Amino acid sequence: MKTVWRFLSSVKLAIVLFIVLTLASILGTLIPQQWTPAGYQAHYGSLSRVITGIDLDRLYQSAWFIGLLLLFGFNLVVCSLTRLAPKLRKTFGSAWTIDARELASQKMRESFTKRLGLEAFIAAARVELGRRRFRLATKSESGSTLLRARKQTLGLFGSDIVHLGILVILTGGILSGFGKYGSEISISEGQIVPVPSRAVSLRLDKFETEYYPAGAVKAWKSTITVFDGGVPLLTRTISVNHPLSYKGVVFYQSSYGWDWEKPALELRVKKKSDSSFLKTIRLKPGGKAALDDGTVVAAMRFLPDFVIGADNEPATRTWEPKNPAILLEGYRKDVRVFSRWIFAKYPEFVHAGGSDELDLAFELTSYQAPQFSVLQAASDPGAPVIWAGCVILMLGLTFSFYWRPREIKLILEPREGPSVAVSAAGLASKGRERFEEEFASIMAVLRRAS
Amino acid sequence: MNEPVFFLLAFLAYVLSVLTYSGSQLFRRASWARTGFWLAVMGLVVHTLALAARTVQSGHAPFTNMYESISFLAWASALAYVLMESRFRIRRTGPYVMLIVVALMALASSPLMPKEAAPLVPALQSYWLWLHVSVTLLGEAFFAVAFVASLLFLRADARSRKPKGEEGARAAERYDAMSYRAIAVGFPLFTLGGLVFGMIWAYKAWGAYWSWDPKEVWSLITWLVFALYLHTRIVMGWKGRRSAIIAVLGFLAALFTYFGVNYLLTGLHSYA
Repeated sequence: MKTVWRFLSSVKLAIVLFIVLTLASILGTLIPQQWTPAGYQAHYGSLSRVITGIDLDRLYQSAWFIGLLLLFGFNLVVCSLTRLAPKLRKTFGSAWTIDARELASQKMRESFTKRLGLEAFIAAARVELGRRRFRLATKSESGSTLLRARKQTLGLFGSDIVHLGILVILTGGILSGFGKYGSEISISEGQIVPVPSRAVSLRLDKFETEYYPAGAVKAWKSTITVFDGGVPLLTRTISVNHPLSYKGVVFYQSSYGWDWEKPALELRVKKKSDSSFLKTIRLKPGGKAALDDGTVVAAMRFLPDFVIGADNEPATRTWEPKNPAILLEGYRKDVRVFSRWIFAKYPEFVHAGGSDELDLAFELTSYQAPQFSVLQAASDPGAPVIWAGCVILMLGLTFSFYWRPREIKLILEPREGPSVAVSAAGLASKGRERFEEEFASIMAVLRRAS
Repeated sequence: MNEPVFFLLAFLAYVLSVLTYSGSQLFRRASWARTGFWLAVMGLVVHTLALAARTVQSGHAPFTNMYESISFLAWASALAYVLMESRFRIRRTGPYVMLIVVALMALASSPLMPKEAAPLVPALQSYWLWLHVSVTLLGEAFFAVAFVASLLFLRADARSRKPKGEEGARAAERYDAMSYRAIAVGFPLFTLGGLVFGMIWAYKAWGAYWSWDPKEVWSLITWLVFALYLHTRIVMGWKGRRSAIIAVLGFLAALFTYFGVNYLLTGLHSYA
């Protein structure tokens, strides 16, 4: 039991976890995440059983990976606590002392006798060390006076502060895991949509896409009004990188789309036999239009991004108008005379199944569908905790890498005269060379003190 | 004068810097290394002008496509090197770090890298672009210095094991210290720029501070490797060989985060 506990609280475990977490994370980037079981079956064959069996398909959400993270956090807590308490006591406790042997064992040390009263010497030391931003503590012990001067002491605790920051971040992660809320809201101009499981509704007042002169998208902007309890409260324009926060819910511009249910279509009709014949008809999918010669044209189906699917049936690949196509059927006295797909981007193309004897030629010249905006409503109780953890982490890193804890210990023994015998030593774990210079110049000042 | 001219002049200064540095080692002329250092500084100054010109011309941060960001990484590496050099005065690392800088400049100017400044997609229009990318790349540049120092350490260390290896041992100790100091600068920068600023920006732009996107995961991996470096070194007292190997692996992870993820894996960061 004791050995188990010792292992759980050891730096060795921390190092093992660094390595295991690294390897697991790499694995998660090599195996595509969040596919369907069929996808893994097709790509990995018999290996897919292993992948789905030990959750490699959702590795970062799997129980074992989260377990590793929790073990990491636990190790961090135990590691820090067992080391921190003695360290705090040693640094800030009142039971400190300085003995002559300790000073004698330091490399950075000096001793001299100064013709000055004890009080006057202490006052001089206080001025010089204070000027250099050292913090002083004094103590009297068996006839001699002990003087301890320190600065940048926080540097000793840099790593502990870093660990605290990481624990806070892990806590934030747990809070996010349990309390995170997110919901996509597709909304058209003028529409009012309730935000799921919140007493808030949104109205989209305006949605616009801004373009650069060269044609690339510059911005998507949704002007939304937030309704709380049925009352319109505020109207703001949100865009990517500029979300709106209301009562802990943040609204993001997430995506956009077209409502292809009822696009307004425009067709140009020509006759091969009569070059003067030109007619424009406007209709919606499901609608019909009659031509002068008695033919009735019906728009059967519209697909924004036509593709022949795996089942050999027409389908749409995306919801963007990349390859708009309309299925037209023509009737004469209720008898179907033709049925063909017309492609906006390929007006010359005649579908292989269609008859080419037809006198009529169609072009899909316009297809307009109302655009809608996709907003994301999200709230994450872990986020503020994460930011606090990040601040603590960065403070800790600054303290541990850039604070140079320095300590000067002095033993002062009053002598006849009045004079004082001084022995001093400097202690620093980092940046010793610079400290040696500082120590020497402090000692020089103290030797000259009057 | 415009950006391509400045870029070319910087490239030239870096190449000359490598040549004089190498010459100083080959022909044992210590004074040439000084020239090499000042050439690197000159290159850095002109390169800074190139980045500034690019920023003015495109109207956005000079690291939004591969050409720009490689050029910026070369600039950051030259800066990291000049800073480390002026503090540690180990001229021997000069030719190698500057060789990396030259290689990056060559890569940036290769015809494979489209150089047109494209207008920013909506997701990148944020001041976090400046903070996130520049601080991260600066951190990675210090990792590059640590990488070179660690490789040189491994070479010097191997030499020190042979008879009459005292000189190698002394050099090895200096490289080891330089590698640690570079990581001591790079690690906080990388943590701040890559992870902290990255999370803040992700939260502002995507609504989630962490999505286990490949680039995020590889940043975390890089961070874990350097955390391993620091723990094994400070707590377990590892120094020298094993430390150097971890530092080399850490830089390779950083490199993969930067290049590999873009070309080999897909994810949210696919524009950068």
